[in-house]
Amino acid sequence: MHESDGTGRTRRRFLRAAAAAGVVGIAGCNTPGDGGDGPDTGTETDAGDGDDPDQIGSGRSPFGDREVGGVTIEEMPDLEGELTVYSGRGEALVGELIEFIEDQYPDLTVRPLYNSAAELVNQIETEGQNSPADVFYSVNAGALGTLADRDRTQRLPDDVLEFVPSNFRDPDGAWIGTSGRARSVPYNTDAFSASDIPEDIMAFPDTDAFEGEIGWTPTYSSFQAFITAMRILEGEAATREWLNGMQDLGVSTYGDEFQISRAVADGEISVGLANHYYIQRVLARRGSDAPLSTAFTRNDAGAIFNVAGACVLDTASDSTLASNFVRHLLSAEAQDYFARSTFEYPLVPDVDPVGQLPAIDELNPPEGIDLSQLSDLEATISLLRETGAL
Amino acid sequence: MAGEHQPIDDDAGHEDRLPLGPSIAAAAVSAAVLLPVLWLIKTGFGVGFESAVALLTRPRTLEVFVNSALLVALTTAACVAIGVPLAYLTVRTDLPFRRFWTIAVSLPLVIPSYVGAFAFVSAFGPQGGFQRLLAPLGIERLPEIYGLEGTVLILTLYTYPYVYITARASLKSMDTTLIDAARTLEHDRWETFRRVTVPQIRPAVAAGALLSALYVLADFGTPSIMRYDVFTRVIFVEFGTFGRDTAVLLSLQLIAVTVFILWLESRIRGEERTTAGGRSRALVPLGRWRYPAVLPVAAVAGLALVVPVAILVSWLLATGTTANQSLVFEWSYAINSVTVSAAAAAVAVVAGIPVAYLSARHGGRLPDAFERISYVGYAVPGVVLGLALVFFGSAYAAPIYQTLYLLVFAYVIRFLPQSVGSLRASFLSVDPALPEAARTLGQTPVGAFRRVTLPLVAPGLFGGAALVFLTTMKELPATLLLRPSGFTTLVTHIWTAYESGYFGQAAIPALVLLFVSGLSMLVILRQEGYDVK
Repeated sequence: MHESDGTGRTRRRFLRAAAAAGVVGIAGCNTPGDGGDGPDTGTETDAGDGDDPDQIGSGRSPFGDREVGGVTIEEMPDLEGELTVYSGRGEALVGELIEFIEDQYPDLTVRPLYNSAAELVNQIETEGQNSPADVFYSVNAGALGTLADRDRTQRLPDDVLEFVPSNFRDPDGAWIGTSGRARSVPYNTDAFSASDIPEDIMAFPDTDAFEGEIGWTPTYSSFQAFITAMRILEGEAATREWLNGMQDLGVSTYGDEFQISRAVADGEISVGLANHYYIQRVLARRGSDAPLSTAFTRNDAGAIFNVAGACVLDTASDSTLASNFVRHLLSAEAQDYFARSTFEYPLVPDVDPVGQLPAIDELNPPEGIDLSQLSDLEATISLLRETGAL
Repeated sequence: MAGEHQPIDDDAGHEDRLPLGPSIAAAAVSAAVLLPVLWLIKTGFGVGFESAVALLTRPRTLEVFVNSALLVALTTAACVAIGVPLAYLTVRTDLPFRRFWTIAVSLPLVIPSYVGAFAFVSAFGPQGGFQRLLAPLGIERLPEIYGLEGTVLILTLYTYPYVYITARASLKSMDTTLIDAARTLEHDRWETFRRVTVPQIRPAVAAGALLSALYVLADFGTPSIMRYDVFTRVIFVEFGTFGRDTAVLLSLQLIAVTVFILWLESRIRGEERTTAGGRSRALVPLGRWRYPAVLPVAAVAGLALVVPVAILVSWLLATGTTANQSLVFEWSYAINSVTVSAAAAAVAVVAGIPVAYLSARHGGRLPDAFERISYVGYAVPGVVLGLALVFFGSAYAAPIYQTLYLLVFAYVIRFLPQSVGSLRASFLSVDPALPEAARTLGQTPVGAFRRVTLPLVAPGLFGGAALVFLTTMKELPATLLLRPSGFTTLVTHIWTAYESGYFGQAAIPALVLLFVSGLSMLVILRQEGYDVK
């Protein structure tokens, strides 16, 4: 199983599932410099293997063959000194990017520490003022918001915050999103067609066809953020009703959303709830003939658009260095990297997603909710517990 | 244990005067183990009492508590049912290739159980790889592997080695002349086993079963993948939602349950006899069963090892050209793993000796307290213990925070009972008359211990070292919290690959993990050769 690895040649071909704006991807990719003899599954973004590192700063992606907009690393302030980064994003996904940034500056040493985002928040809290961490890099807004709520962050400079639209950052400037992920509905194409999937998440419990066929992940952070959004958008009573209704349907519980996507592809269940890139990961491994596709709901909690992002901690020994590092995560090169290495959305408006994912403005996230509200998990957890979902 | 234990010679005054050196050492070890608990108590009790009680008494919590109890009881029973016969076969009989099988059936201990569980689900899930193999035969769906039965199966496969290794050590240091005596008294082989062998290995089996039980109690990954709801999930939900303090409070509950299990085990241990050790007799010939007996042994090792390896390798082959460059394997990961694991094993054995020795030789309130305390670190989930040391490390030991010293310290606190349990069982089987004889021949107490007692407990010592070594090889949560930046072990590498979905690339470090652990076991078993024959 792999995600596309984002270096050298990344080749993807996405077929649009017409009615649902769903995406089907098959992806193949090679390690850099592996010579172009791999299976060629797609061509649109094919890059030459011999990308010249000297091209960095020219507006050309160092990770593949395309021009990207945005501010290049060369145009950014130099980084110098030692920096400890607690990364809740996996080394397999962002390790290369962090090394790439480090390699640009001879006097920069980045000391990354990888773990799950939640455990890093617990670690930062436990370390208190003795924390060696300068920057926290998170998979979701909830972990960032939690640190902000506990006054463990420093306000980012305005010229960093301005990189992304205001809905992808904390209103008080405590953290900023660096890449985006959409909630989605993986479904088995042998069991359903796109039109069978309701466009309203609240209609799911009343969809008889889902009886005994649907899965969810109550312990999973993205699911909990989704329920939090539902609480805010639809109110506590409607959310409680939804949770009970889903259990009346005989919903199956899974540990994470990658498992859900696999189970849907296996036909173990026919439909589920998951972040959009998990579906792509399954498809990338199994090929486009796997009976798995993506649907999106419209303007409701089921379509919430969350971000991975970063913040500077109050214990940062050099806040300028730390915030400039965060700035580098918003560089043209980094944004291009996210588009390629994960199946995520770049958040800097001048960088397009790679492949044929629906563009960010074709998605229909709900109005009237901002991401910083998603860290309010306490009421969500008690609701999940009261209804027996947890 | 406490009051029941009476040394064979009741030379008045001998048993109650605790030797000063070992007592101080054991007290120091206990203090180190209790250090993290101070933080747990301080943090856990910061939670509002009312909300804690509400959380603990709601029906769902009680339900998962019952689930946990069921899981622990069934898995522990299954571990004993598998571990003891395997130990008997590989120690006391003329089973072919015994050294190979000894290593093979010990190795499941190094496979992280979440990797095992994930592989089993992939292989034997309703529509997993195995079903696809059988599909031409018209089989469209396999029976559910999820739930209690599946969880018991997986956890048994990856925790029976605790029982196996401790039982094996005990069988090796057992005095088999007693068996001969029983045989001359016209006991048949089964009767002899029941009346002679079982009482002798009971403390060791109980120690191993205790390790299995506590492991199962604190495990989260396997039940989660197997979709069986247990108490640890309540803890992990709190951790996952930044409710650290509540999670810590719940972990204290886990310690309370552990105390109960420890009490239970001390009842089961029963009468602990000290016997003359080390005289062993020829192996039991299996006769025409010699080769057929390999089958169940191979089946257990095969199921536990081959399934995950085969699944990982099949993924590796399937994704051969799509490797992620950040995940390219480096041999330094293996060196890192072996280094910290060997250090942890060595320190855990050295720290375990005074604790085990006092408890086995002298008994009494204080030594028994020291022994029971050593289990505390083992009873809490690794992430909780890791956080406690994050606190102490960052606040009071900044120079060693995020260095290997604190990491090894964490391993020792976590896995100390593995060496203590194994050592204690061996000390119990040494006849106190032997070191005393050495004393009358002019040896100092230290000399008698080193020359007589230590060689006699060698199987237990190396058994304990092997347990600590193998479990440290796979330890993940504390490693992630306490490792220095850039320090990658085999298991953190597997985790990184697994976590980001590059399962194929988990295959190479997993295979290396098995290979290196197997090799290390070979070295450990060689050392054992110095045991008395």
